[in-house]
Amino acid sequence: MFFQPVELTTALRPLLLPDEILLFVQDAVGLYEGKYKIPSMQDGHAYLTSHRACYVDKAEPRKNSVAVELKNVDKYEFYARFLKSSPKISLYPKPTRGSVAPSRNHSAASTQRAQAYLRSSAASPSPRGTSPFDQPSQRSSSPGTSSVTWICQICAQPNQLPPRFDASTASVHTSLAPCSTCGVKPSLAQILKAAISTASGRQAAKPTEPPSQPLLESHRQTLSSLSGEEKLLASASPPNTGSSFQCPRCTFLNHPSLPNCELCGASLVSIDLKGQIEDDDTIQRPESPGPTMVNQSFDFNDDPEYIKLSFRCGGDKIFHERLKGAMLQRKWLLQNAPPVPRPDQSLGRAPDHVHNQNRQADGTPPLERSKIVGIAGLERRGLELRKNNEVVLNNAFEDLEALMASAKDVVALAEQFAKKAPESGSEAADALLESATALGMVTTKDMLGSSAGSETLYLSELSRNVAEYLTDDAKGILRKEGGIMSLVDLWAVFNRARGGVELISPTDFEKAARLWGRLNLPVRLRQFKNGLLVVQRHDWTDDKTIAQLLDWLQELHISPPSSEVFWSWETFGRGVTAQEAAQRFGWSIGVATEELEMAEENGALCREESVEGLRFWENWITEEGDTGKTTLDIDPETLAVTRNLVDLGLW
Amino acid sequence: MSSKSPAPRPAFDPSGPRPAPPPSALPSTFNFPREYAYPPFYSLQPTLLTRSAQLRKWSALIQSYCRFHRIYRLSLIDAVDTPLFHNASIKKRLRLEDVRVVVTWMAGEEGGWRAEWVDGGGVGKGKIDGGGAVWVWWRRPEEWADVIAAWVEETGQRGVVLTLWELSQGAGSKGQEFHGMDPEVLQRSLNVLVKRGKAQIFGEEDEQGVKFF
Repeated sequence: MFFQPVELTTALRPLLLPDEILLFVQDAVGLYEGKYKIPSMQDGHAYLTSHRACYVDKAEPRKNSVAVELKNVDKYEFYARFLKSSPKISLYPKPTRGSVAPSRNHSAASTQRAQAYLRSSAASPSPRGTSPFDQPSQRSSSPGTSSVTWICQICAQPNQLPPRFDASTASVHTSLAPCSTCGVKPSLAQILKAAISTASGRQAAKPTEPPSQPLLESHRQTLSSLSGEEKLLASASPPNTGSSFQCPRCTFLNHPSLPNCELCGASLVSIDLKGQIEDDDTIQRPESPGPTMVNQSFDFNDDPEYIKLSFRCGGDKIFHERLKGAMLQRKWLLQNAPPVPRPDQSLGRAPDHVHNQNRQADGTPPLERSKIVGIAGLERRGLELRKNNEVVLNNAFEDLEALMASAKDVVALAEQFAKKAPESGSEAADALLESATALGMVTTKDMLGSSAGSETLYLSELSRNVAEYLTDDAKGILRKEGGIMSLVDLWAVFNRARGGVELISPTDFEKAARLWGRLNLPVRLRQFKNGLLVVQRHDWTDDKTIAQLLDWLQELHISPPSSEVFWSWETFGRGVTAQEAAQRFGWSIGVATEELEMAEENGALCREESVEGLRFWENWITEEGDTGKTTLDIDPETLAVTRNLVDLGLW
Repeated sequence: MSSKSPAPRPAFDPSGPRPAPPPSALPSTFNFPREYAYPPFYSLQPTLLTRSAQLRKWSALIQSYCRFHRIYRLSLIDAVDTPLFHNASIKKRLRLEDVRVVVTWMAGEEGGWRAEWVDGGGVGKGKIDGGGAVWVWWRRPEEWADVIAAWVEETGQRGVVLTLWELSQGAGSKGQEFHGMDPEVLQRSLNVLVKRGKAQIFGEEDEQGVKFF
């Protein structure tokens, strides 16, 4: 199984395994199985991590997302942009053990499947693309094929005409599919020639047989290295006088197959192609020459010959670079690797807990440890611990390599320090101290591909990142803050959690937060009347807050107020200040004030202004009921019972 | 006066006049509504809905209070220290500015014209220097006119000439709601009857008489 399902986080990003590091993200990526597009996976994000390459679909991330483990990847290849074909990176799976000639099997399978493949645009019947890889097997498996093959004049790629193509009825108006590799349309004359030569005898086609793969490869590379225009001039056939194409800018008559004006360089869109592009609003790129597979549902159990990632908005180079790095480093091998050996200069004295465990596991008892007891022993242990910490830190900071190697230890140490730090009041402050745990969770600008939409990609990634951070159950940031927290606080906590590197600007942060709604993430940004922005769970509504507040105020009918009051607290309860609310629900004062005012505006609460400050009460003013009704809906019996409980201190 | 059952507070229905309860039925002390002991009642609410409910309740309280104590004219600066606006037991009071707001509201359409500034409509509104005195119309002049007309009808005094003093202070009107009425309010109420053509006022300044038809 080459394809693996991806587990996604709440923010619809791949869930990283322990030790897995996110290396690169790029949007507008399409996935190919073999040489055919997988129809449901044509617009999504590619995530490269130290262990995997993931495709996460934009429209239906939960359904159409796959991952490929890098350890299953045998080799990878990079195709530069070639005329209309987007740059691609191919990943070849490792041959499955046991099968003698896996590649052959694969080719046969793909040939069979190829019968079901059709060209993506139904309007233009097209040649079934053939690649140099399955060329031989295809020929052997179907020797009597009657389809017409034409050789592209630009890139020498052999293309097949659809079986429906009829040379006798073909005219200038017959739409011809472009070359499957370079996307340049053949001239009609060329096709007809090829058709005639095929018809007159298969021998005629022999001389124009495709060059072997290495030759084609080198040809491609030279092609892409040459500048497009010169290349075209060199290899294009003499201009077809009948259908020259006028440049919209300088009116120069260009050859129809030129993508840019020869004279002024303005981009040309051939007339019939223009219509197709305008029809297709969803994909804003020139028509892709690649064929799509139709009527073929994606199957995880399929073992493709190879897969391709097509980078429609750039980012291919960096992806390739990082992929190269990841394949070299092979982090997945380290998953269960023993800790890095280190100089053990202080044998009996400075073993840290890891060493102790190791040693005890080895069966070697710690040497003199057990002998010293009492205060001296405690002191000795403290000393040992400090010594050891010193060693770890010294080793770690000696050079960067060493730091990377001992990263685990350093993180563990940092966590310890964080825990030892003096108890601070706010939970948010604790979260700050746990910054070390967050080392792996960064989305940074340099991790993202450069594309036209690079800014939006960054923001959306950041947005997901923050949402993940917020909803992470282990940290429980939002929960600790009473389910609501101001955006400014979050920004501070988040930036601190990044450990002081790659800090996020407030504007970016706000923009990212505003994207939550659009990205369907489980948190939402809410703006209070006075402009305060707060972050809340997606499903947390004002009604819930009000219910929470009212519950609390109801309680105050039962428990007597701390100091003596003049009104009947049994009837009205008592007023609460924003401070009290903040304390009770774990909100910040600003949030508490806003929530109370929100409830007031809603009519659930009303205010009492006095020299002691602003207090909020249950709203008895709008209550139309008259003196008949005494207090609340609790029946007197329950009330009496609860009151007894309160008196006994059991409540 | 005998205090019958601890009757509910005299809820005042501002929608129209109703027959006066016999004086003996009035409890000896004024029963304040529940909100009177509710601290937020003394702070004007910023929320629209709550605020209008609050003003309505204050208006009802002022009217029933004035009715109970037979107050026709309220001097705000003096009234703020009376139990009406000052609840000593919970140490809360409605501030003078807020009293003005309430009275202004009462004097408007929303409040049903249940108050009127003594020195001309709306003039007292801007005044801060304590000049404001108001008529509290727990019964508007038109309503008083109806009450008086009904009484005249009942007692068969049609065509009889009565002095204003007789009407408000005389033994004949004793026990009636308008007994002891403020002369100015009486004057205005009778003017309403005159306009309706049901009475005629004649006589000099102090010796005014009225004849009902």
